[in-house]
Amino acid sequence: MTDIPSGHKPEIPPGRSPVSRFAGLVHRYREFALISRDPVLFMSLLFCGLFLLVFVFFPLARAISSGFINKEGLFDLKYFARYFDSYYGPVMRQIFWNTIRMGVLSSVIGTLLGFVFAFAMVRCQIPGKRWVHLIAMVPTVSPPFAIALSTILLFGRNGLITKQLLGLNYNVYGMQGLVFVQVITFFTVSYLILRAMLERLNPAMEEAAESLGAGRFHVFRTIILPLLIPGLAGSVLLLFVESLADLGNPMFIAGNMTVLSTQIFLAVIGEYDYQKASALAFVLLVPTLFVFLVQRYYVNRRSYISVTGKPSGSAPVEKSRLIRWTCIAITYLGCIFIILLYATVVYSSFTSAWGVNYAPTLRWWNDALTRGVEAILDTTFLSALGTPVAALIGMVIAFLIVRKKFSGKEILDFGSNLGGAVPGTILGIGFILAFKKGRVVMASILYAILALFFIFFATPSRREQVIMLILGTGIGLAVHFLAPQLGLKPLMYTYSGIYLGLAVISLVRRRKLGFYTFLGIAAYSALFNLVDIIAVPIAVAGRNMERGFWSSALYQMADYIKVPFQLSPVLLGMALLFITALVVRSENSRLRLPLGVIALALPCVLFYHGMPLALTSTPYIILAAYIVRSLPASVRAGVAALQQIDPSIEEASQILGADAQYTFRKVTLPLILPALLAGLIFSFTRHMTSLSAIIFLVTARWRIVTASIMSDFEQVGLMGASAYSTIIIVLVLIAIGVINLITRRVLRGRGDVDISMGA
Amino acid sequence: MYLTLEKLTKTFPPRGGAGEVHAVKDADLQISQGELVTLLGPSGCGKTTTLRMIAGFEFPTSGRILLDGKEINTLPPNKRDMSMVFQSYAIFPHLNIFENIAYGLHVQRISKSEVERRVGAVLELVELTGYEKRAPNQLSGGQQQRVALARALVMEPKVLLMDEPLSNLDAKLRESMRTEIRRIQRSLGITSVYVTHDQIEAMTLSDRVVVMNKGLIEQVGSPVEVYRYPQTRFVADFIGRANFIDATVTRGLPGQLAVQVYGQTLHLSNVKEVYSEGARLILIARPEMILVNSQGELPGIVRRASYLGNMVDYDIEVGGQLISVVDTDPRHTAIHAEGAAVGVSLLADCVHVLPG
Repeated sequence: MTDIPSGHKPEIPPGRSPVSRFAGLVHRYREFALISRDPVLFMSLLFCGLFLLVFVFFPLARAISSGFINKEGLFDLKYFARYFDSYYGPVMRQIFWNTIRMGVLSSVIGTLLGFVFAFAMVRCQIPGKRWVHLIAMVPTVSPPFAIALSTILLFGRNGLITKQLLGLNYNVYGMQGLVFVQVITFFTVSYLILRAMLERLNPAMEEAAESLGAGRFHVFRTIILPLLIPGLAGSVLLLFVESLADLGNPMFIAGNMTVLSTQIFLAVIGEYDYQKASALAFVLLVPTLFVFLVQRYYVNRRSYISVTGKPSGSAPVEKSRLIRWTCIAITYLGCIFIILLYATVVYSSFTSAWGVNYAPTLRWWNDALTRGVEAILDTTFLSALGTPVAALIGMVIAFLIVRKKFSGKEILDFGSNLGGAVPGTILGIGFILAFKKGRVVMASILYAILALFFIFFATPSRREQVIMLILGTGIGLAVHFLAPQLGLKPLMYTYSGIYLGLAVISLVRRRKLGFYTFLGIAAYSALFNLVDIIAVPIAVAGRNMERGFWSSALYQMADYIKVPFQLSPVLLGMALLFITALVVRSENSRLRLPLGVIALALPCVLFYHGMPLALTSTPYIILAAYIVRSLPASVRAGVAALQQIDPSIEEASQILGADAQYTFRKVTLPLILPALLAGLIFSFTRHMTSLSAIIFLVTARWRIVTASIMSDFEQVGLMGASAYSTIIIVLVLIAIGVINLITRRVLRGRGDVDISMGA
Repeated sequence: MYLTLEKLTKTFPPRGGAGEVHAVKDADLQISQGELVTLLGPSGCGKTTTLRMIAGFEFPTSGRILLDGKEINTLPPNKRDMSMVFQSYAIFPHLNIFENIAYGLHVQRISKSEVERRVGAVLELVELTGYEKRAPNQLSGGQQQRVALARALVMEPKVLLMDEPLSNLDAKLRESMRTEIRRIQRSLGITSVYVTHDQIEAMTLSDRVVVMNKGLIEQVGSPVEVYRYPQTRFVADFIGRANFIDATVTRGLPGQLAVQVYGQTLHLSNVKEVYSEGARLILIARPEMILVNSQGELPGIVRRASYLGNMVDYDIEVGGQLISVVDTDPRHTAIHAEGAAVGVSLLADCVHVLPG
């Protein structure tokens, strides 16, 4: 490829002539044909695409559209009009401008603080670099309201510092407190961006400017600042979005002031008015999406520095002592504040009644580990279960984006980032609206795509394709309509029998792949029911024990065992179509046609069973929300790792005789392993600490700690919330430690996981 | 022929409103066993694309690639029994030197003792014995280059492909690696295709040079042929330096060609082709094929003179055109000062002719 510079003069003059458009189509088709030649690659592309369709584009489309449609199903701009009427208008506009003011203040101050941290780290030889970095990273691994919590504890009406020590009647609730809290919570992102940029700033440029007679300040103004503008702009934009999307901190510390995110929350939880919530979400989405697009297509392109890659030697030390010591002082002050805030969280969880009685007690921890154990276990279990899935999907998407050429790559890239970039409340509303009822149309679209994939993948013969599609779908629909009341349990028993039969046939015909696959599916289908045999006694045992940590833990355990086996029917159908397509493809006798018909008909029934895609109140909806939220970080880690690997390294392996699979196992995988492990850390952290995306999705059966603290705050109280927050932080730190340990073992000193990549 | 390219064409898809890009067009080439052939040309000429098609990393849009008489157009790279040295070396960073070189042998599941024997032998060949346990980043650029070469050689491939393997080395190292590669290639008799944009590299290394430009093969020939008898103006200009002088045929009989140059008649007895009288020609005269002295056939004025020790490099204005002239034996002749009026003679038996 080195022979084709990007600016290569085309031999055909540019223009949209019909010929060149046709040639473009032909090439699109060729690319597609090339990808479809590699079945594993094609399937992973299809899988990722469908995942994004179902769990990103579909819910977001619902969240947006329902703001414009009223209960009667008619187009309605009622809530948008409220911004302009005289009754609601003043309040609505007030909230809107509050939100913007909060975003601007938080993002600008946060970026300034981030810059000072970055400058102190890179240019000021700050003592204790390692510790400063670690302390700056802490806010990224804590629940989204921890800082608000400790700020109230320290500076609130009964605050340790304001009331007890200084005797002030300071009111922290409101804009000031909120901005302070958001700055501490979000400045890390800015610090990381600007630090990376400062490290890559070529000192030779500054030296050149100085040699031309420019003074320190002049160099800063004319060289450093302009070069950092993309980074500063990017940081302000990102922080603005984070601040707008933040739900936890405003809920705790905004006091009487309302911002958009809390207004949306109240519309859902207080008024059950989804049209209002969606309309407000749209108002919130517009600036967010605008910033996202500017960031993606403008700021990133304008960056002069990050494209050059390698850090260029050691950065020079700032010569002005005044600047140096000011930066160091501010940085240390910031660090002390962060330590103080988190120490307060931990300390208060052991205090009887903050502000009144500081006697140590284990009461809050006892509460958290008995009454709250269900939520803690549910959160940890779902976070952990979603982690490998998110990291894996992230790596696959990164691989497709970096290494493969295909149409629609932009959409894949965009979609994988979108779910994490939009405010979590919007995604949450979208999930509720999309998955609360049966979605026959969506299920049909999914079935149609997968059925087409199945027939084209399974057989090259046009005749067999048509027969498979018509007969398979026909039988499936017939079963569905003739036996509409068929329960899932008898259905799965039947499936188990049918797949066992197919396994036996494969065994007789000595088809290893078919035998193992069908046997596996048969066993899995049987377990759908049989898992109750294991789960029920565990649950009963839990119930019969004395109420406490272990009884709850056992009872929850019974639920967890079922999660992997009692997948909701549509998801199961999708998985079956993927897996059996491979088997049918490998069958090359006359049996292929009947096999294909059966393998298509069985999942078809599942796609329409009961209320398809009605996932609310199942654990899968929370899992999906987790994965969608953490996907961007995993993708970014994977993309960064893959871009560092010279493609010719993989080519070298190929030409030395290794096939794609051997190359992936022996070359690509070891090289992206650090990124994969880092992806695991990001995902788990993001899952454990997410609030806004899942707050509408929790149910009595599946509880999430962050959400329970928010919704049961009166019951839990400040100290209880502190105990829960501490538990979340500790669990995240344990997970990071374990994965780091594994990394060191596996990589044997070849590298370390950099947790800062995921922020 | 061992390796044959037949009407090989590669077209890249239109991108960003631009039309299709013809990276390689109708390339015909035949390479015999044991031969080292260089693909030479400026960047963007299609040489790397051609090499990558031979390797199997790109599939041809049309045309055929034949290895030992069998078409291998869409055979994946790992089935082609070739090996390649990459411009970036592409050494596996997570494997040590031994594991790097043994990689391909492990893929083939060759016995441990045999692997050790072959890796040892090839390490000796590239003079890296004792480096087995080193990590790649502990090696210098030249050593990494030799690891990449050893990793390719140990496979005893049918064809060895090299994609600008020396372009990341400094000038001195490049020179010694050049002779090294040639020595090893000769001693093992490996059929090799070598891509470079450096004409000196191509001249010193190759049995034959393939000069490419804008996706087309301009000329195939031995280093002597492409230098002395360039078939196109591009080849003459790309390899070495050349003066292009317009001429008109005054007598076109075979072996007795006479042309009018700058108002003087020149007899070119070496030219075999027949030209009609009055036809316009371009004379290609290398700077060292032009004599300069006080009274040559064509009057000229020295515009620039640079003394380089082993030669004097002149720009001389003749008939309104600046001509490069090199006096390769300045000890015996006077050095003409800038502005001096001199005489210039074309060595008629060295001058090459192209139709104008």
